[in-house]
Amino acid sequence: MMLHKKLYNWIDDRLGMHEIINEKRSGYLLPPNVNAWYSLGSVLLVIFALQVTTGLLLMLYYVPDVDKAFSSVAFIMNDIPLGRLVRLFHAVGSSLMIVVLVLHMLSILFMGSYKSPREMHWLTGFILLLMAMGISLTGYLLPWNQLSFWATTVATDGIGTIPVVGPYLVELLRGGKMVGFKTLGRFYTLHVGLLPAGITILIGVHLFLIQRTGVSTPPFGLEDTSNPWKEEKFKYEDHPGGIPFFPNFFLQDLISISLYLACFLALVFFAPNLFLPATANLPANPYVTPAHIKPEWYFLANYQTLKLFPSEIIGLIVQVLAIAFVALLPFIDRGAEKHPLKRPFFTITALGCILLWIGMTVWGYYS
Amino acid sequence: MRGWTISLLLAVMMLSQVQADAAGVAVVNCISCHTVLSGRLSTPVKLWNSSIHAEHGITCNACHGGDPADSANAMSPARGFRGKPAAPAVPALCGGCHMGVLKHYNESAHGRALTVGGPTCITCHGSHGVVSASIELINRKNCSKCHSYTKARKIKNAMLKTEGMLKAIDKKIAVLKVQGVDTDKLEKRLFALRNRFHAMYHSLDVKLIVQESDHIQAELKKTSGIGGGGTGPLVGMLAVAWALLAALLFYLIKKNLD
Repeated sequence: MMLHKKLYNWIDDRLGMHEIINEKRSGYLLPPNVNAWYSLGSVLLVIFALQVTTGLLLMLYYVPDVDKAFSSVAFIMNDIPLGRLVRLFHAVGSSLMIVVLVLHMLSILFMGSYKSPREMHWLTGFILLLMAMGISLTGYLLPWNQLSFWATTVATDGIGTIPVVGPYLVELLRGGKMVGFKTLGRFYTLHVGLLPAGITILIGVHLFLIQRTGVSTPPFGLEDTSNPWKEEKFKYEDHPGGIPFFPNFFLQDLISISLYLACFLALVFFAPNLFLPATANLPANPYVTPAHIKPEWYFLANYQTLKLFPSEIIGLIVQVLAIAFVALLPFIDRGAEKHPLKRPFFTITALGCILLWIGMTVWGYYS
Repeated sequence: MRGWTISLLLAVMMLSQVQADAAGVAVVNCISCHTVLSGRLSTPVKLWNSSIHAEHGITCNACHGGDPADSANAMSPARGFRGKPAAPAVPALCGGCHMGVLKHYNESAHGRALTVGGPTCITCHGSHGVVSASIELINRKNCSKCHSYTKARKIKNAMLKTEGMLKAIDKKIAVLKVQGVDTDKLEKRLFALRNRFHAMYHSLDVKLIVQESDHIQAELKKTSGIGGGGTGPLVGMLAVAWALLAALLFYLIKKNLD
């Protein structure tokens, strides 16, 4: 018997691994009408793993000091074998993580998968989106270049518009009145310590919730597209005669992951400057303000909204209300119907909001 | 009135000293005083502000001596103040920093004519509004002040190609810099080559200039190949193709399984 077989049997005799694999993979059945959108969760896990791996590699040479941060990144980019690629993987990956997270949430939104009993799934997912934006914001500052310095200044300025506590929050985040060495220390701690740990825990909670309730049934290709859960006691949503996760849906996961990697690699190799423009390669200079200071692309809509209202506080209230509405959507939308075409008011409103967000982002970019 | 002027000068000096101290840079009282003076006493500062010396932080005392940090004794000979240098002393003064240029200048027709009123450094580069060495300085208007432009034109033509190469590499460095490429070594190498080339201007020896230009051009050709740091399009295409092929392979397996 081969050595690895012997080792496998040795572990299996003690832990019953085969049973777990059989039960949780081949015995784990998904709805028969499951679609490719369901694989975005796996794509996100791969993205997170890639971000952690490339982040750890960058940490080997990165120095979180205002005098050395930029030159250490330049050293990684120019002198470390494959360093340029690792840095680009990390920078491009952070933006794509937000894109895929938003797509994942939109698929959940239009398929009504957030409805009872999956309120907590939605809420943990939404918090994960906010944390992903937070980890990207904090990571953005670390290379200490003109773009990151000024984008962080603008992004943290926005927090200052909160009445009474706003200025204190900005000072707490920056460690002073201005973005400086204390801000770098705080952001570095958040970026490599607290936020990755928080995201890992929350991913665990999110996966646990999915395991407990079972995967929701998509509303497509069925006659009855209403929510099967009728506010009763806990009930696992099983799918007898469904598709085994392994190997069938696992292959769908691999297809989606490969397609994601194709897009990701295309951006890394052919359009890296989309996420690292010219100002991202100039050292931060607090005395020279670039002509067009903008936050990261996923904060552009918020940035433009703040500018749109005559008073920043109104702009802030509107945004807080919008965020709270989206976060609490499963508690507000209690209708049983899941199919997007059978709830036109919801679908049209949601599409309108998405178009508004895209419009505000584009406006923010060109303003 | 006189009292007001002195008070104003003192206030400006104190303010500038506080600002300069706060910024952690050397205090230059010559500039703060002469800026607020009128007429010919403030003109040098205006000219200096736009000079290559100002760009590199070379201030008044580098040429005029004195102590720029002590306003009371700034113009004291005891502190090394030498005032306006005499024309024959100018090349040696400038050559204190620009040593390579001085050697070429001394051996040139310009240098040999120094004792009989020949041109010094400031004739072409200016005194306070000093301009850096560039091929544009060699022109009919400048050269015809003293002699015919014929030989100067020959020199200029011999240098044009090299100057063009230097400018092209400058542009390349600017592009590489914004792509995150470390251009430090490249810049230092170019700086040395440019200095060697510009110092040679001053020899006025057409044969030497042509010969040296060829050497420098060969060096610049090596320099222009440096940089990049990217992986090239082939690696990118292979990586994307690998991912797409993997997707196709998994799709075919899945289809077969379904």
